[in-house]
Amino acid sequence: MDRMSDHRVGETGLSDSGPSNQPLTYGLHGFSPAGTNFFDQEGAAYFEELEEALMQGVVGIRSDGDTKTYLTTRPPTLEIFPSWPMRFHHNTVGNSQSAESSDSGSAQNTISQLESESPVSRKDDYSELFTEQQQQQQQQQMIPSDGSKTEIGTAGNHQSRDQDKRRLTTEKDGRNLDAKTLRRLAQNREAARKSRLRKKAYVQQLESSRMKLAQLEQDLQRARSQGLLIPGASTNGGISSGAEIFDMEYAQWLDENYKHMAELQGGLQAHLPDGNLRVIVDDCLKHYDEIFRLKTIAAKSDVFHLITGMWTTPAERCFLWMGGFRPSDLLKILMPHLDPLTEQQLVGLCNLQQSSQQAEEALSQGLEQLQQSLADTVASGSLSEDPKVGNYMGQMAMALGKIGNLEGFVRQADNLRQQTLHQLRRILTIRQAARCFLAIGEYNSRLRALSSLWSSRPRENSIATENSFAPATSLQILQQPVDAHFSVF
Amino acid sequence: MQYEAAEAWAAAYMAAAAAAGRGGGAGMWDPAVERVERLAAESAVVIFSVSSCCMCHAVKRLFCGMGVNPTVYELDEDPRGKEIERALTRLLGSAAVPVVFVGGKLVGAMDRVMASHINGTLVPLLKEAGALWL
Repeated sequence: MDRMSDHRVGETGLSDSGPSNQPLTYGLHGFSPAGTNFFDQEGAAYFEELEEALMQGVVGIRSDGDTKTYLTTRPPTLEIFPSWPMRFHHNTVGNSQSAESSDSGSAQNTISQLESESPVSRKDDYSELFTEQQQQQQQQQMIPSDGSKTEIGTAGNHQSRDQDKRRLTTEKDGRNLDAKTLRRLAQNREAARKSRLRKKAYVQQLESSRMKLAQLEQDLQRARSQGLLIPGASTNGGISSGAEIFDMEYAQWLDENYKHMAELQGGLQAHLPDGNLRVIVDDCLKHYDEIFRLKTIAAKSDVFHLITGMWTTPAERCFLWMGGFRPSDLLKILMPHLDPLTEQQLVGLCNLQQSSQQAEEALSQGLEQLQQSLADTVASGSLSEDPKVGNYMGQMAMALGKIGNLEGFVRQADNLRQQTLHQLRRILTIRQAARCFLAIGEYNSRLRALSSLWSSRPRENSIATENSFAPATSLQILQQPVDAHFSVF
Repeated sequence: MQYEAAEAWAAAYMAAAAAAGRGGGAGMWDPAVERVERLAAESAVVIFSVSSCCMCHAVKRLFCGMGVNPTVYELDEDPRGKEIERALTRLLGSAAVPVVFVGGKLVGAMDRVMASHINGTLVPLLKEAGALWL
C-alpha cells in the first residue's frame, strides 16, 4: 500500500507509512478486527446496513448516476484495496485537511456518510480512503466493458462478503469477546488515534513550512529584482531594509576603495607624471563623493543606522562624530604626513583646520539642542502616570517629527566631510594629494584591522592558567613581558 | 545678535512701496523679494530663521563662534514672516531656513554656508562686509 501513501501525501490521506495503514488494510478486508473502529459494534452494524442498502440498489456513495448500476452488482467490501494505482483524486476527498475526532465520532460519520448520498466533510481517514477506493474502483471498473469480468468479480465478492458476514456475526454474537481480543482492539484503537494525531501535527507543520517557504521565495525574488542578492540571510524576515541596502553598498564601496588605494600606491611608486596621477587622484575623490551620495540616500530611510555607526566597525565607531569621521581629527592626523609644505599651504591647512572645527562645533551645538528638544517632548506630561492618560500619541507624533531633523544634521556633517576632502585636494599638489588620500585610506583600513583583531581576541576566561598556550595576538605578546616584569617582585 | 522687530520691516515695506511708485516695471520684479533684499542689505550678516529650528541654532552658533554679530529675523515671530518665506522660496526654491545673507548678498542655506566656510570664501566675505575684524 505504499503507492497509496505516495499518492496521498499532501492530502488527507495516509502520509505516514506507520501502523495506521495496517489496521485499515486488515480491517476493511475483514479478516481480523485489527485496529479500527469499524469492527466494534458500530462497525459491524455498518456493514450490515451497507449490505442491505446495496442489495436494494441504492446509490450509497456517489451522487452521480453513472455508477448506480455498478454499485448494485458489486458490493464494495473486497474491492477496497485494488491492486491498481490510484489515479483519480476527486475533490470530494480533498475537502478536509486534517483528521480529527474521537473514534466513536468517526464511526458515526462513516455510517452517516455512506447512508447519505452526498459526500460530507470527512472526519476520519478510513472513511476517506474507503470512499476514494470506491470512486477509484468505479472509475477503473467502468473501463472494462467486459461484463464477464464483472460477474466473476461479483461472484468472488459475494463469497468473501458472506465470509465477512459470518465473521462479523460471530463477533457480534460473541459479545463476551475474550479479554485478549478486547485488549487488542483497544490497543489498536489507541494506535489509530495516536497516528491520527501525529498525522495532524505533521500536516500542520507542513502547512507552516509551506507558508514560510512562500515568504522566503517572495523575499528572494524581491532581492533579486533589486539586484541585491545577499549571500548571508538577513535577520528580519528577509526584507532588505535601508540599513541592509546601505551596508551592502558600503561593502562594495570599500572593495572599490582598495582598488583606488592600490592605484594610488602604484602611481606614486612608478613616479607617474602629474597628469596621470591627477586622473587617479580625481577618481579617488569622485569615489568619496559616491559614498556621501549613498549616505544621503541612506539617511532618508534609516538615519539611526548612520548616526549610531552601525555601518562601521567598532574601532571606527569609537571615533564617530555625527555618523562619520570628524574632519578636524582627520586633518590633525594627516598634517605630519603631508610635509614638506609651502608657507601658503600651511596657512591654508591651518585655516581649513580651524573652519572645520568651527563648523563641527556649530553642528554639534545644533544637534545638542535637537536632543534636548526631543528629550523634552518624550518626557512631557507625567512619566509616572498611565500612558493612556494625556496626549501620548500626540507626544509621540511630535517626537517623530523632531527625529526627522536628525537627517538634516547627518546630511550637513557629511557635507562638511566632503567639502574638507575637496579643499584638501585644492590646497595640495598632486603628489601630496595622492599621498594624502593614500594616508586616509591606510588609516581607516588600520582602524578596521584593529576592530577585527579586537573582535577575535581570546577572552580572559578562556585562558586557563598563566602558562597555558593561547593563540598569539599582539595583545598577548605585549602582556607576557609585563607579567614577567611584575612576577619578579 | 540683534532681533529686529516689526519696525524695520515696516520701514523696508515703505521704501519698497515708494520705489514701486516711482518706477518699477521690470517684468521679474517681486515686491517680497525686493523687501527681503533690502532687509538683507541693512546689516552685514542677516539670518532668516525659525525660533524652534535646530539647524538655525547651529548657524547662529557658527557665526557667533567666529565673532560675528548677525541680524536674525525669526519668521515665526515676525508679523511679515509669511511674506519673507514666500520671497525665500522664490530666491532659493524652498522656504527651508536658515538662509544667510552676507554684505547684502545671498550666501544660501546651511550647506552653502558650510561649503563656503570650508573652502575659505566665507571669511573674506565677512571681512569685506565689515562683520569681521582681524
